Amino acid sequence: MILASSDPIAFDTIAPYITAVVVFVVFFAIFAQFIMPTITKGLDDRNNKILGEIAAAEAARTEAKAAQAAFEKRLVEAQDEATKTIAAARADAQRIAGELRTKAEAELADLKRRAHDDMESARKQAVADLEAHAAHLAVSVAGRILGREIKPADQSTLIADSLKELAATRN
Amino acid sequence: MLQTIFASGADPVGHVVDKNINEWLTLSMLSIVAGFAVAMFVLVKAAKAIQTGPESDGNRRYITTSRLGQVIEVMVLHLRDEMLKPVMGERLANTWTPFLLSQFFFVLTLNLFGLVPWADMQEAVFVVFGHHPHFDVPANFSQKSAVYFGGTATASILVTGGLATVSLVAILYQSIRELGILGTLEHLCGGPDLVRGPIFLWLVIPLIFVVELAGLIIKPAALAIRLFANMVAGHTLLAVLFGFGAAAAKAGAGTFGVASITLLSGTFGVLISFLELFVALLQAFIFMFLTAVFISLMSHGDDHAHDEEHSHDHADSHGHAPATAAAH
Repeated sequence: MILASSDPIAFDTIAPYITAVVVFVVFFAIFAQFIMPTITKGLDDRNNKILGEIAAAEAARTEAKAAQAAFEKRLVEAQDEATKTIAAARADAQRIAGELRTKAEAELADLKRRAHDDMESARKQAVADLEAHAAHLAVSVAGRILGREIKPADQSTLIADSLKELAATRN
Repeated sequence: MLQTIFASGADPVGHVVDKNINEWLTLSMLSIVAGFAVAMFVLVKAAKAIQTGPESDGNRRYITTSRLGQVIEVMVLHLRDEMLKPVMGERLANTWTPFLLSQFFFVLTLNLFGLVPWADMQEAVFVVFGHHPHFDVPANFSQKSAVYFGGTATASILVTGGLATVSLVAILYQSIRELGILGTLEHLCGGPDLVRGPIFLWLVIPLIFVVELAGLIIKPAALAIRLFANMVAGHTLLAVLFGFGAAAAKAGAGTFGVASITLLSGTFGVLISFLELFVALLQAFIFMFLTAVFISLMSHGDDHAHDEEHSHDHADSHGHAPATAAAH
């Protein structure tokens, strides 16, 4: 059209060209100034939101892992502590039981010893009483048999003999 | 009454090219303004759907609820993160994404706007009411318009040329911003290795300068021609397919023949319309993507061959986009 025209730069010839340039420049200005920033901001907001949510989820997961690790550590510590406490209690119980047993055995031995002593003492007393009584009885019997009074020297001899006989009898 | 339909059937290219409404106003200019309004409406609505909602919405305030918003969001994210950042690098992409996306959406809207048969609907209304303003248009207009609205703005080389001129300005702006005026001139003269190299190499500098300067202008010119040619070719093909019935009637075919041809060509026309939808999207993407490649090429003041290699790598990694564009 330009080449066919007698006036190549006439406005009516290049009007579409000028219109295209002017309208596009206006379109670009509005698009770059208002539309594109709105679209970009919307997209960026969404990206940031998604990235933020992912970061928060990662942080929460890390935190949960740390909490789980701490919990497991505490659990292991508690188990160790419980094991130690049980071992200590068992040791205390054993120790106390040992002490009680020792004490009971000692008391029992003491009781036994005292009973033995008492019995020994009672036996000795009984033997002595028996001896005295036997002697006295023997003397009486002998006096009656002999019909006379036995002198102290005879009496002593008799007692000694009787005791020997008694001892021999006991054995 | 049927003359205009027959005429459009016989002249499909005339159906596609830009037309004057008065001495200076053309259909493409109205389409640009209408496309601007539609794109603004859609993008503002989408931006509102994408932006973070009020606190009272809870976590739902981060969700894009409208379908339109989701479509625009997918486009923006894919183009920015999968296309522009790998090609231009993070820093350049962050700077140029608003410009490149505005190019993409603007061209896409104009391409798609052209697929709606506004002009044909008006023609049909004129035919029904028995008066066709085609006969009222002054005869001195190069292309007479029977309608007041419609057409594909990007099927005008002046419109695509205007958009490509903005790309050229962007490419030069980035080069001057990155390299400075002297650096840009040095780049156009073959780079520092040549300019600061041996004196006998200076003999080739004028030649390189001419070639580089031509390349600088040819790149956006190719953008303009590629978009223009694709739109014209696609719409011409559609006009041919939809006009076959009228052409057959004009040639004296019987009712059955006209109906058969119309049905067959109309079916193909519908299928090609789906292809045109894809082409509209593809061409908008290519226009934006190649502008991004040219901007990133001009921002490197070092090894030129390295840059070329880079651009080829990028093209390969993105499905041979420039090659596809050229082929299309």
